[in-house]
Amino acid sequence: MSYPPQPNNPYGQQPPPYPPQAPPPGYSQQQYQQSYQATQVGMPAPQLPPPGGQFGAPLLQAPGGEGPQVWDPHSLPADDNVNPYCFSVDLNGAYYLQKGKMIAYYGEMRFSGIGRGVLDRVLEQNFNSPLHASDWVVAEGRGKLLLADRAYDLNSYDLEDGNLTVRSGNLLAFEPSLRLKQSIIPGFLTLIGTGKFVAASNGPVHFVEPPIRVDPQALVGWADCPAPCHHYDHSYLHGVLGGIRHLTGIGGASGEEHQYEFIGAGQVLMQSSEALMAERSVGVVGEQSGVPHQQPAQAVPGLGNLGNLGDLGRRFGL
Amino acid sequence: MAQFRLQGSKVLAVDLAGDTVKARNGSMVAYTGQMGFKKLSGGGDGLRGMVTRRLTGERMEVMEVKGQGTCFFADQATEINLVRLNGETLFVESDNLLCTEATLRTGTSFTGLNGMASGNGLFTTKVEGQGWAAVTSRGPAVILRVAQGLPLRVDPGAYVAHTGNLNRALKSGAGWTTLIGEGGGEAMQVEFTGEGLVYVQPSERLTFGGDA
Repeated sequence: MSYPPQPNNPYGQQPPPYPPQAPPPGYSQQQYQQSYQATQVGMPAPQLPPPGGQFGAPLLQAPGGEGPQVWDPHSLPADDNVNPYCFSVDLNGAYYLQKGKMIAYYGEMRFSGIGRGVLDRVLEQNFNSPLHASDWVVAEGRGKLLLADRAYDLNSYDLEDGNLTVRSGNLLAFEPSLRLKQSIIPGFLTLIGTGKFVAASNGPVHFVEPPIRVDPQALVGWADCPAPCHHYDHSYLHGVLGGIRHLTGIGGASGEEHQYEFIGAGQVLMQSSEALMAERSVGVVGEQSGVPHQQPAQAVPGLGNLGNLGDLGRRFGL
Repeated sequence: MAQFRLQGSKVLAVDLAGDTVKARNGSMVAYTGQMGFKKLSGGGDGLRGMVTRRLTGERMEVMEVKGQGTCFFADQATEINLVRLNGETLFVESDNLLCTEATLRTGTSFTGLNGMASGNGLFTTKVEGQGWAAVTSRGPAVILRVAQGLPLRVDPGAYVAHTGNLNRALKSGAGWTTLIGEGGGEAMQVEFTGEGLVYVQPSERLTFGGDA
């Protein structure tokens, strides 16, 4: 039943089974919302802070109520959000993370580039993107590891024998029980298997169900759906007047002529803004006939040009 | 006695009754009542501050706010963390210090070579005395406790401030693989040992060692 076949977990470490809940595929929305609300009001105060004043540290009592929470390795959550922007990994074994996303850690850890060392062989099974993907590192050891990325919202997702495709720049970290593959869509990565991963988004993530068309810049990823297709709203550029408009630029383009269209069953993840994270190289697909290859990064389509219409100009004989 | 409170999480409101606070130059966003804003030289430390801050590169443009009413401060929508000091010392990056009560003394402190390697400069700002200080962070700061036997390692780009009796030491995870571009991405870390609290922001400013 389980496709694709699962290799034995090389680390002997199984993530705690997450109770599959009703909404999105195993996404711990409840936890996320809780932690999100906690900090929206300024200082997080989900629990009573430990008594201040010890260790010669200042009392952290705000004038109007509880002070901010002080974390230590025991009170830091295990594999959960500390606040919407910071995720705490209870490391015991290995974890993959994007370079430079560690902000602090307790315990003994080592960060090493992927594709070298004694772990080399087991890594190959999980890291199924080209091994020279030098943007990824492995954290090994034990302790609590804090991840963050430019104060973007972080969410953890639990996959249970599932698959989820996410924009490469948005993926922060994942458990080695998941396997990472390059999506057929350039710039996206697909995670397959069972385990937890952490992804960033600018603003909270929204889950929507197909059929839906989403803005390319707001798309974070999708789960279970078939891969999206492009959709162009260019009808107003048809005809004589539209042709003149296209040629002269008079009237301009709305910038929303191009969307991704999702159909079928699944979940589509969207962020609350159109700010893109820097694309992370995932290696290059070898050029073969029939294999879509990654084009050089294009500028974000701006207003004033019709760039995001792609090759539509050909329709007008340009 | 100035009253510090948060208006939302990104705006600091200070109630003043004829007393003064020191705030970063230009950080006032609104005020009610009567306020006067006076630029202070040398980060508010007078002539000594002018000299030391010029020498150390720990620049801080500070103004003195005095008046009656409520003054609101904010800086680029960064989160604000209030710290109450009762005779302790707060070490903070000068970029992250927004506002201090007039009863607090500010100065510079030598952090050693680890500061230079992490791109934060050789010196850091020291705040001591009794009163409130407001520290900004990009994203709400996570406050981590360091105790005996529980050392903490922090990415220099995410470090904001610390209090207590802490030793900073630079740890390098760089090896020969870093040189050929296959390093672990976290070549520079600041290790804190001792007892105290460290403020870490969920974001990394650009640092010299950050990409190694």
